[in-house]
Formats: sequence, structure tokens, C-alpha cells
Amino acid sequence: MADLQDELHAAAEVGTLDGLPDPFAAEPYTPVSDPDDAPLERAHAILAAHPVADGYSGLPWALRHLPWYDLELGESSVDTDVPRMREGHVGALFWSLHLPEGLAGDRAVGATLEQLDLVKTVVQAHPEGLRLAYAAGQLTDARNCGRVAVLLGPAGAAALGDSLGILRSLHALGLRALTLSGASWASGAGLTRFGEEVVREMNRLGVLADLSGASADTIRRVFAVSKAPVVFTRSAARALRPHPANLPDDLLAELGAVKGLCMVPLTAEQTGPFVRDVADHLDHVREVAGPECVALSGTYDAGTAHPQDLGDASCYPHLVAELLHRGWSEPDLALLTWGNAQRVLRTADFTARAAQQRREPSTAKIADLDG
Amino acid sequence: MTSVSFLDEARELLREFPVVDGHNDLPYALREQVRYDLAARDIAVPQNAHLHTDLPRLREGGVGAQYWSVYVRSDLPDAVPATLEQIDCVRQLLARYPADLAPALTAADMEAARAEGRIASLMGAEGGHSIANSLGTLRGLYALGVRYMTLTHNDNNDWADSATDEPRAGGLTAFGRAVVREMNRLGMLVDLSHVAVTTMRDALDATSAPVIFSHSSSRAVCDHPRNIPDDVLERLPGNGGVAMVTFVPKFVLQAAVDWTAAADENLRSHGFHHLDTGEEAMKLHRAFEERNPRPVATVATVADHLDHMREVAGIDHLGIGGDYDGTAFTPDGLNDVSGYPNLVAELLERGWSPSDLAKLTWQNAVRVLGAAEDVARALQATRGPSNATIEELDG
Repeated sequence: MADLQDELHAAAEVGTLDGLPDPFAAEPYTPVSDPDDAPLERAHAILAAHPVADGYSGLPWALRHLPWYDLELGESSVDTDVPRMREGHVGALFWSLHLPEGLAGDRAVGATLEQLDLVKTVVQAHPEGLRLAYAAGQLTDARNCGRVAVLLGPAGAAALGDSLGILRSLHALGLRALTLSGASWASGAGLTRFGEEVVREMNRLGVLADLSGASADTIRRVFAVSKAPVVFTRSAARALRPHPANLPDDLLAELGAVKGLCMVPLTAEQTGPFVRDVADHLDHVREVAGPECVALSGTYDAGTAHPQDLGDASCYPHLVAELLHRGWSEPDLALLTWGNAQRVLRTADFTARAAQQRREPSTAKIADLDG
Repeated sequence: MTSVSFLDEARELLREFPVVDGHNDLPYALREQVRYDLAARDIAVPQNAHLHTDLPRLREGGVGAQYWSVYVRSDLPDAVPATLEQIDCVRQLLARYPADLAPALTAADMEAARAEGRIASLMGAEGGHSIANSLGTLRGLYALGVRYMTLTHNDNNDWADSATDEPRAGGLTAFGRAVVREMNRLGMLVDLSHVAVTTMRDALDATSAPVIFSHSSSRAVCDHPRNIPDDVLERLPGNGGVAMVTFVPKFVLQAAVDWTAAADENLRSHGFHHLDTGEEAMKLHRAFEERNPRPVATVATVADHLDHMREVAGIDHLGIGGDYDGTAFTPDGLNDVSGYPNLVAELLERGWSPSDLAKLTWQNAVRVLGAAEDVARALQATRGPSNATIEELDG
């Protein structure tokens, strides 16, 4: 075998491998629709290949008060059910665990456990339509099995009861996104030291930081602290509509720089009364933050009014048709509906795995850090 | 004193069938002593100065499975958040000591851990206050790995009477029975330690799965409300459940019961609450202890309980629940978690056979969890999660 050693290859010199293809280059996009078709037809074709990953559904709280429902058969008392999600090409959605105002302490934690339990019970009761997903790969798996992936979150910051141990327990129960507002450590005054520790622990676990409704100080601090991309599960452009949860251009630009995700809600209040208003916001966010940083958030069943023709989960093709009409390219639409959310979830997974090698579970206490 | 040969034989037996202990308060001790700073109490090395429990002593004691209690106080608000912190503590212990502690959720997991020579680690919640009157929260605890729940701690809750509180519900309320039924459906063991006799009877009537007493002894041997009366022990063969004898001196030794009552009375007569641990109260308490030496329980005290419980309930319905790190004092010879072989040796000397002891230490406790799983599977085929509320059922 010694002769195998006779001709040693010289190490490649700097520059000699430049001719090789870049292994990380994006794969060329293969179009899935015929440009000559009508926009609505094209929209269906594109959504069939790149379904909607929807950033916010208020379904858990809405279902809590229904005595009986069947989401697989269709449920007219809510805006979201399996037939309409199939019609609207929804492939995944975040189920919000937000609680009504005024639930704090024991009641917030307990009510969040109940919400988690309710979502799991609902998903188990609809096995043909829904499947729980805890990571980016499982979103795709669910999609490949013809199920709508359900992600648990965002929950409100109050659900943590100011304890990282509770954060870890909620993560163990499946929580994957947390809204950083409404707690002493993430308030209008910004993020406290304990709040920063919460963000680091969320990074370590793989819980997405949701900043919709957070103060500008908190948002900037989380941009700086978080190692994983952040999301805004319900934020549009403030330049177009002055809603407190909408983002001003400077924050949108900074969001683009940190490659976070602005998920634009389909609500009359935040985006306007017509499909074209929503499209205006999407245009603006794409313009300012970039096409990799914009996504969709149906915000159905959350007690808000929706724009005309976007009244329930089946209506996404209308919106995509409008965007096609405005000249959005297929690759950008694929990013908008599915790709960007995939990227953010996947990066959060990777960040968590890397962080778990470096960091022990944090034992920090709010009393020690915020005194 | 047991002879050396019995002790050797006991250790030999425990290698084959190690101890399943029903109740250990290490998580609460870590919460109180170091606020979960696990590095400050590294249980991989002896912690004799601070704890009854560490890995070397668990090994020495022949422990093969441990229900870690995720107890939180029942007299404070925010029981649910505190319980989640306790659960997180156990999960961190499991992540920290994977070579010694094996996460276990089922009877099969316990057997697998035994085969690997690791200590199967399960969780038990000590008191219905941990679910804040919510079956959804109960299911959340189950999903996090909790496999038994003691229906009460020292105080009554809204749906069950405690052994150490004034009777209120007279056992279980309608919602209390719904909790038991939901626990049956989930496969979470119903633990009747700490509850009033009326609650024990109601729970035995309501449950369709075997119950446990995670840490209780015999009331006929030592009259204390935390112990199990004979008429309840007699129902265990029919139910299939297991009574896990506890070692706490003030429950198992009549002299210690009387002494504790006198010491409490002494504090109360000076205007203090009997659980007061403030400086003034402790001074009074120490003075009392100097005048009246504290009676000391021994291995034989505990063996007396087991002999009687065996007579009444039968060998298939006994287990062990030491309550280590949940009690200030422990019997001589059972001072910490390394002491179980002394108990087994004592029982050998009293003529217990190796197969009896295998049931006591390992087989009964594993069987009862497996039986709860079987019942759960059957029930899940017939009914879904219950959303009953206490308002609906108890008005």
C-alpha cells in the first residue's frame, strides 16, 4: 500500500479553486407558473408550490369558547378551518397563545399551559388536516404529508412569570415564539438586563423573539443581543399607516440589516381596507427591508376586521394575484409566502444547537439582574 | 443490630432489584438552598453537609428509580409557575448527570434504566394546588413528564381534603373526582399520601387505575393523620395499588409524634405558629429540646410498619418512599439515601424472602405505573380530554 503515498498531491494554492462552483450559491429558481396565464391562476400555481407560512392565528382563544367545532369539516364561526386553509394554500401557521389583558402571575402561566393543551388537543382531534411542528424541517414534513403545520406561539411575555425555568418548561411543551412586550423586563422603557438574558436563553432553546408591539428601545436592543433572526408576527409599514405596532422605515431598514422578518398582517386596522392597501405595505416593506425580510400574517380569528376580499384563510390567492399584477417575481413571492419563514426557523434551530454547545441553562434571576 | 451477612445479602438483592423510591425532595432543597444553582450543589460528589441525596449515596443505597418531587408550597400563590420551575430543575439534573440519571416516563423506561444500571428518574407533583383547578394544566404537567400527583399537601384545596387540615369537602368534590378520572385517562398515578381518610376512600371509589401512597406508613402502628388506616390498606389488593412506607420519624414513631405535638404546643403557648422557624421561635424550640430529648426512630421502627402493612395489604402492595430532603430528621440507620440496605437487611433478619423483598423494592412500584398506563390506553379509546371546570361541577 506504500505506493499510494508516492505521489502526494500538493495542497491547493490560494486561488486555484476559484473555478469551482460556490457550494452555497442559491439554486436557480424553477418557475412554477405560466406567465401567460391570468394572475389568479398563476397565484394558485405559485402557492401550490410555495404555500403560505402564516405568522399569526388567534384560533386557540377563539376555539376556547366554542362548545363544539369540526375544523376538518369546516367551521363557519371562525375564519380558519382546514377546507379554507387548503383553498388558500396555507402550509403552516403560528397559533397564538396570547391571553386577554389582565392575566398575570399564576393565572398567566396557568392559562398559557391551558392554551398549549388546547392546541395539542385540537391538532390531535384533526389528524387529517393538522400536524404539530416544532422545527423548520417538520414544517416541510407536514407539508409533504398534506397537513397544515401548526407552530406553538407566540405567547405573551407574561407567560414566563419572570422565570427562565418556566421559559424552559414552556419550550419543552412546544412553545416556539414569544412576544417581548408586556413584562417588567420588556416594557416601553426597553429591555432590562434580565430581558437580555431571556433573549439569550430563547436563542439557546430555539424560541423566536416576536417584537410586534414592543417598544423601539426593546426592538433595537433585541436586534443587538439576539443571535437568531427576530420576527414581527404582526407589523406593517408605519410610513403608510400610523399604527403603533407598525414599523417606521428606520427600524425596517435595521431589520433588513439583521435579516429578521416582518410579517405583514391582513387587518384593516394595520394595513388598510383593500387588497391593494396590503399590497402597498408589502411593496414598501420589501423596498425598505428587502425581499428576504417580508412575510405574511393572516391574523385571522384575532378579533380584528380584515380588508375586503381577504376575509378568511382562503383568500391568499387574491393577494398574490395582486402582487403578480404589480410585477413581483416568482422567486420573491416564494420567499414571501414560505421561504423567508423557513429560513428564519431554520436559522433559529441552528443557532440553538450551536448555543447549547457553549452555554449552560441560565440560572439568572430577575431579582439579581434587575434588582 | 443486623449482622454483616444480612447486610451483604441485602446489597446483593438490591443489585438485582434496586429500590424504587416514591418521594424525594431534592428539587425543593435545591430551590431553597441555592435557587437552582446546580453547580453550587454538585450531586456527583458527596453533599453530606447540605443534602440527604447525592449520586454516590444513591448508588450506595441501591436506588434504581426515583420519583423526584416537584413540590411547591400550598400556602403561597403562584403554585403553577413554581411547579414549572421545579420541573425545569429535574430536567436540568437529568441533562447534567446523564450517566447516572435516566429520564423515565413509563414502566418500560424504568426497566430499561435498570438494565443499563442508571437511576430511572420520574417526577411526582405533591399537591393538587399545582394545577390551579384546571384540567388543561394537569395535562400540561403530564406532558412535561409528571407521573403522579398527590391530591393535596398539608392544606385542603378547593376539591380535596387534606389529612392535616380541617375537613371541608368531606373527601373529594365532584371536580375532585373529575381530576381523578382525568389522571386515570392520562396515566398519571393518583397519590393518596397527605390526603384525609375521606379523600382516600373517595379516590379509591372514583379511580379506575391503581393508586399509590408515595410516602405514608401505617396508622395502626403509629397514630398520625399522615399514615394509612387499616381499612384503606385493606382496599389495596382490590385496587392493585401500592403503599410506599415513609421514614419520617414524626410520622412513624409514636414517641416522636407525641414529642412533636408537645414541641408545637410549647411554641403555640408562647404565641408562635408551630411551623415558625424565626430566631425567637427556634430558641424556644432548642430550649424545649434540651429539656426533652428528641425520640429517635430506627430501622426497626420502619420495619414494624412494613410488617403490619404486609399483614393487612399483602406483599404485592408495599413499596418505599423515604421523603429524603423533605424532612429535617431521619431514623438511625436510614439517615440518608444510602441507608436502604439496612432496611432490607432488617427485613431479611425478620424472615422476609428475597422474592418478597424484590416486590417491595422494585416490582410493585413498576407494576403499578404499568397498570396505570394500561388503564390510560383503554380510557383514551373511549373518551377525550375533559374540559370540566370547578365552577361547573362544584358550583
